Amino acid sequence: MVQQAPGVRIDGLTVVYKTPAGELPAVRGIDLTLEPGSITGIVGESGSGKSTLALSLLNAVQPPGRIAAGRVEIDGLGDVVGLAGEQLRKARGRHIGYVFQAAQNSLNPLKTVGKQLLDLGRSHGVEDLRGLVREAKDLLGRMGLDGARVLDSHQHELSGGMRQRVGIMLALVLNAHLVVLDEPTTALDMITQANILKIVREVHAERGLTTLVITHDIGVVAEVADRLAVMYGGRLVEQGPTREVLGAPRHPYTKGLIRAIPRLVGDIDEAQALPGRPPTLATVPKEGCVFRERCALRMDVCDTVDPQAVADGPRTVACHAVTVTVKEHA
Amino acid sequence: MITGTGVVKTFKQRGKLLGAREVRALRGVDFAIPKGGAASFIGESGCGKTTLGRIIAGLESYDEGEIAIDGVSMSALKPKQRQPHFRKIQMIHQDPYSALNPTRTIHQTLHAPLSLRARQTGRPKSWIEERAAEVLTLVGLDPGTVLSRYPHQLSGGMRQRVVIARALTVDPEMLVADEAVSMIDVSLRLGILALLKDLRERLGVRVLFITHDVATARYIGDDGELYVIYRGQVVERGPVDTIIADPVHPYTQSLLSAIPVLHGLELPGEQPVVPLESLDDSRSEDGCLFAPRCPFRQERCTDERPLLQVTEGVPQEHACFYPERRSVIARPMSEV
Repeated sequence: MVQQAPGVRIDGLTVVYKTPAGELPAVRGIDLTLEPGSITGIVGESGSGKSTLALSLLNAVQPPGRIAAGRVEIDGLGDVVGLAGEQLRKARGRHIGYVFQAAQNSLNPLKTVGKQLLDLGRSHGVEDLRGLVREAKDLLGRMGLDGARVLDSHQHELSGGMRQRVGIMLALVLNAHLVVLDEPTTALDMITQANILKIVREVHAERGLTTLVITHDIGVVAEVADRLAVMYGGRLVEQGPTREVLGAPRHPYTKGLIRAIPRLVGDIDEAQALPGRPPTLATVPKEGCVFRERCALRMDVCDTVDPQAVADGPRTVACHAVTVTVKEHA
Repeated sequence: MITGTGVVKTFKQRGKLLGAREVRALRGVDFAIPKGGAASFIGESGCGKTTLGRIIAGLESYDEGEIAIDGVSMSALKPKQRQPHFRKIQMIHQDPYSALNPTRTIHQTLHAPLSLRARQTGRPKSWIEERAAEVLTLVGLDPGTVLSRYPHQLSGGMRQRVVIARALTVDPEMLVADEAVSMIDVSLRLGILALLKDLRERLGVRVLFITHDVATARYIGDDGELYVIYRGQVVERGPVDTIIADPVHPYTQSLLSAIPVLHGLELPGEQPVVPLESLDDSRSEDGCLFAPRCPFRQERCTDERPLLQVTEGVPQEHACFYPERRSVIARPMSEV
């Protein structure tokens, strides 16, 4: 079976967490399409729901969380939200590769990388284990590592950048064509980060993948992604082609986020922090716009009505103030 | 003035399997941070920047060289005698989540160092409460709401502010901020950087900033000095903006080239420098330490080690036999 890069359609996805205050949504009403063969970047701060969204792609949200509504349609798999048990286990790894946040901590410290690779192969019923090891070696070699040495190493013998590459290898070795990278470069320094991002781009193109990158760092998305989606307080507030969004952000949060990046050239006072702080699960407003507390364009309607995502060509924005100006111009 | 001369630190590992191994963390580093001044150390993980910061804060010993705080040499003093000097230098750690005791309220956290300080300076007990409120206000927090809270009730940015407030309780003359914003949410990072800059300007506190993100180093102030450290050696040193605009050492150039380009807003630099190998594969001890990774290395580089020097036409100090300006950093599209 020749696998193609799958497309993914997320439709009205809502994920809630059970808390003493009742079930609170971490992700609410998300519509997002990952085109086959594209790299999509999701940017958000802590508590924005970006990791929860990524886990939903594997239907791997752990209790007390659960997917309360919506569909996650993946080509060749169907609606992942409906999968369970053995079917789901097989889908993970075979179809969807996941590189965990801090891959350096997701490896077993007691086993060599090679042994963990064999475990992975056996649990997915791979018959040709030698072939699997060969494939792993090739992949590691492709990423600039000495495959044989790495497979014989324990995780503490590898540097952060090497472990991250091992994480990518483990996500790809079963020939998954949908890959989710959760904070792939957090805790890595600049040169290693640039290296890993280059590898992500190249492997993506060579193997024909659909890739989703989750990060808090707009720079990372700017480097790798074709499309950029911005999350805040569990909502998707803006999405569109990366260059267009960065060049002319529309949502006040996206604007603020870009303005908050320390820059190398120009007047340093131009960069400014956003006032206030990101909401947590408990402080996300129940109705109205999630960003209004920190927004300079706040209007009365923002307190009561949740802005809907309005499409404008390849871009969508969920903001009352922006929708008004677009209408005025039309 | 806080100065270091030829600071050397070697970590010795006693491995049963691999035998004894030596890691040369610092190979003779000189630095000077004047009163009210600022400096930042930048480099990859493992370059020795954190070790140097810890030595300066008195948390780590050094094997050779000299650290002097306001003219007093630290090596000559007994540990007990060093204490009052190192009080002037306080560390702000990377992770505000683990730097605060989760079982103590912010009030309790600030109370301990303040009561010590009150005893040392002979101040009354009422001073402790006043000062606690004062340091919290200094870092932009509202004492009324924060004092009774536990760390888990605060956001990352607020926690880091509490950590800074705690450092201020002992009236330090210098703050050593080790990757102090890397775990803070992006939208709040600038707030912390601005706070450090503000403390510098208002209180005259020196700031030593340790980071791998060069862009954040600019926020300590344009009179700040930048030290680019590679494998325990300073390879380039000079004013922050000079080095960012005109780096001459290939290592500094590769660090600056590695900063993500905001496509759509910026155009990449024209001559990006990419190291040939990773740090893991190039541990050669001969010649220039960076030579194995340097795309511009010549024969001389593998035989002889360049020292930090000043050459004609280059405003900053550098440790390269063949310094050359290269346009490596991204430029905003609006400027082009």
